[in-house]
Amino acid sequence: MYNATVFPKVLIAGILIAQSPAVLGQPNPQARPPRPPRSSTQSPASAPRPKSAAPQTFTAAQLREGEVRFGAQCGFCHGKDAAGGESGPDLTRAELVAKDSNGDKLAPMIRAGRPNNGMPAFANLSDADMKAIIAFMHGQMDKFAELGGGRRSVEPSDLATGNAEAGRAYFNGTGKCTACHSPTGDLAGIGKKLQGLTLIRAMLYPSGARGAPSSAPSKATFKLASGQTVVAPAVAEDDFSVTVLDPLGARQTYQKTAVKVAVEDPLSAHFDQLGKYTDAEMHNVYAYLESLK
Amino acid sequence: MRISNRIVTFLCLAALPIGAQSVDPKALLNPPTNAWLTYHGDYTGQRHSKLTQITPENVSRLKQVWSSKVSQGLKASPIVSNGVIYITAPDILWAIDAKTGKERWHHEHTKNNAFHIGHRGAAIYKDTVYLTTPDCHLIALSTKNGEIKWDVLIADSSKGYWSTNAPLVVRNHVIVGVAGDFDNLPGTLKSFDADTGKAQWTFYSTPPPGQSEPKSGGATGGQMWNTGTYDPELNLMYVGTGNPTPVLNGPARPGDNPWTCSIVALNPDTGKLAWGFQVSPHDTHDWDASEVPVLVDGNFNGQPRKMVLQASRNGYFFVLDRTNGKSLLTKPFAAVNWAKGIDELGRPIPDPAKEPSRDGVLIAPDEGGATNFWPPTFDPKSGLLIVNAKDGYGIYFFKPEHGAYGWAGADYGLAGKGFLRAIDYKTGKIAWERPYAKGSSSAGVLSTESGLAITGDSGGNLLALRSSDGTVLWHENIGRMGGAPVTYELEGMQHLLVSAGNTLYDYALQ
Repeated sequence: MYNATVFPKVLIAGILIAQSPAVLGQPNPQARPPRPPRSSTQSPASAPRPKSAAPQTFTAAQLREGEVRFGAQCGFCHGKDAAGGESGPDLTRAELVAKDSNGDKLAPMIRAGRPNNGMPAFANLSDADMKAIIAFMHGQMDKFAELGGGRRSVEPSDLATGNAEAGRAYFNGTGKCTACHSPTGDLAGIGKKLQGLTLIRAMLYPSGARGAPSSAPSKATFKLASGQTVVAPAVAEDDFSVTVLDPLGARQTYQKTAVKVAVEDPLSAHFDQLGKYTDAEMHNVYAYLESLK
Repeated sequence: MRISNRIVTFLCLAALPIGAQSVDPKALLNPPTNAWLTYHGDYTGQRHSKLTQITPENVSRLKQVWSSKVSQGLKASPIVSNGVIYITAPDILWAIDAKTGKERWHHEHTKNNAFHIGHRGAAIYKDTVYLTTPDCHLIALSTKNGEIKWDVLIADSSKGYWSTNAPLVVRNHVIVGVAGDFDNLPGTLKSFDADTGKAQWTFYSTPPPGQSEPKSGGATGGQMWNTGTYDPELNLMYVGTGNPTPVLNGPARPGDNPWTCSIVALNPDTGKLAWGFQVSPHDTHDWDASEVPVLVDGNFNGQPRKMVLQASRNGYFFVLDRTNGKSLLTKPFAAVNWAKGIDELGRPIPDPAKEPSRDGVLIAPDEGGATNFWPPTFDPKSGLLIVNAKDGYGIYFFKPEHGAYGWAGADYGLAGKGFLRAIDYKTGKIAWERPYAKGSSSAGVLSTESGLAITGDSGGNLLALRSSDGTVLWHENIGRMGGAPVTYELEGMQHLLVSAGNTLYDYALQ
């Protein structure tokens, strides 16, 4: 929680530094560790199922207990069989499970949650319950890899109903996609990088899909008393404050009553577009992006 | 005369110590301001308090009196009786001293493997407090020390039922519902004797086990997992029913699938259906109509009416005549794109082109809905229903390979924008709205007679607003609110009780 009261003076000092480009690239001991890069390319749901990377063995008792604990704590969102539930993804195809070795990746994530994706933190899980839950997730991934199929499966071929040419026209015309995107620039080869469900989710709203390219951060534009404007990347915002990264990469929180600030969400055009697409237009644009290989 | 007066006086005195500890079921008809005796505060579901000590003018003087941390996240709405707060989480009920925030006792249920996704709250009757559990037990506990009086099964959790329900108590009926979307199960609501736990009646919103009825179209589901409301004059209770199962596979269950996604009016003594109104005929998007059916008496088109209001998960706001279930008004209060129009009964007409498909359809709202389980408030003075709402979009898939059991399909939320919205019940228009900077809120809303609305925003701020126009008068960051705020008077002071994360916070003026 960032409740620090910051006075305009500090802001101005921060901004003065911000304007000196030489400082920008310097490492900063206060900065939070960089976000791990978004996992590379393929949709967990449309790629071949990953197999658990390191062979791990769990006792039958652990797996049984894991099924019970998983069902109780995780099953509502991820399904009792871990293959997808009310709002959470199918974990039998999840890359993080595949990359995990005895909980080294999963346990910290489960304890911290993924608040931005709606996953709560399970900070109070006992170590034994955690181990059992992770054992069950690995077991289910291996089991489903052998069985094939999947309750929530969406294959790339399912999505191939659009017309790429009509999609291109929409992209360049009605959709106004060229205001921010270019098929030879940021979207060059997008059809090779992303497929199926991941591609269509990334197309509709980039931050909603795992494996999608990360979009630009929100921009906070401060208007100073002098009339000068200063822009900083916004990392958090609520109705009363905005938190930006200062040039050293440290988080600074400003109360909106104390400064004149407007925060611009680079994804707002994507959100507005969701209210405009017909299903046919959506599938056409998908077909067009899919063709950019 | 004198003797009988004396006897009356004596009886009153003798009754007092017991009376002070015990909740007379009649008190639920006219709840005192020094308590919050039911999930909604009263039978109307308005979540509106007559208290006026905290006002728009002095609300900025609110200060935390105490905070109390418990071992689990709180999504419940507390009940308060005789200076004791009862609040719940899956498998656990705490009794907390309202003056100090210290635990008096708690009851923890045996570990079990049913879904532990949240809990809505407890119910109270005489000196008994009731807890439902994930594995579908209904447990009666002594308010004095948490001792178990009886423990009965509502449904078989091994079949896929679970319960998060805050029971509705009407006279000697404890009325409880269950959830169960991942299996094709009949929608089940049960009543138990408040004193003995003896089963009284069962209402099925879809055909009972082993039976079929042509009009259901083969649908199961329609679970009643949220707390209903009650009109003592009509002797009818109102409860919202959940979505049909299989959830996303519409072709498997043709027709409207009554009484799923409906508001139903039941006789609380018998469980018999008086009427039903489907807010989403043939739902294929998981939009349970479980949101609070709020009871309002007032004028509609110049005529005095007994009404029931619901801002529903499917994005539409409904006003019905609650004597007969006839529609008075249907209007969207959030982004919607799934209906072709409104039929002559006032029901949205689902667009067949918006049923989940192999290649995916873009749907507003998303699966989480335009609103959900969190309770709204109704402010009688302004005639506004104030609710945490969302304009959201999702993509829905179904292909025959997904089968016809449980979820039977796939859907993904894409993006949403949250608002606190105030809906004028007479017109269905948004009188005011407060957009949240980021995300949406799943906090309930409380209003008070002094003109305040209290809720939590998406950024973890507890908000006090002027209910007539939505102006924010005060805020304090406590973390995202999970349950719904309540208010009551204790030793002459009005208290405000809210929860965020694992912690309960008590506020009063300073």
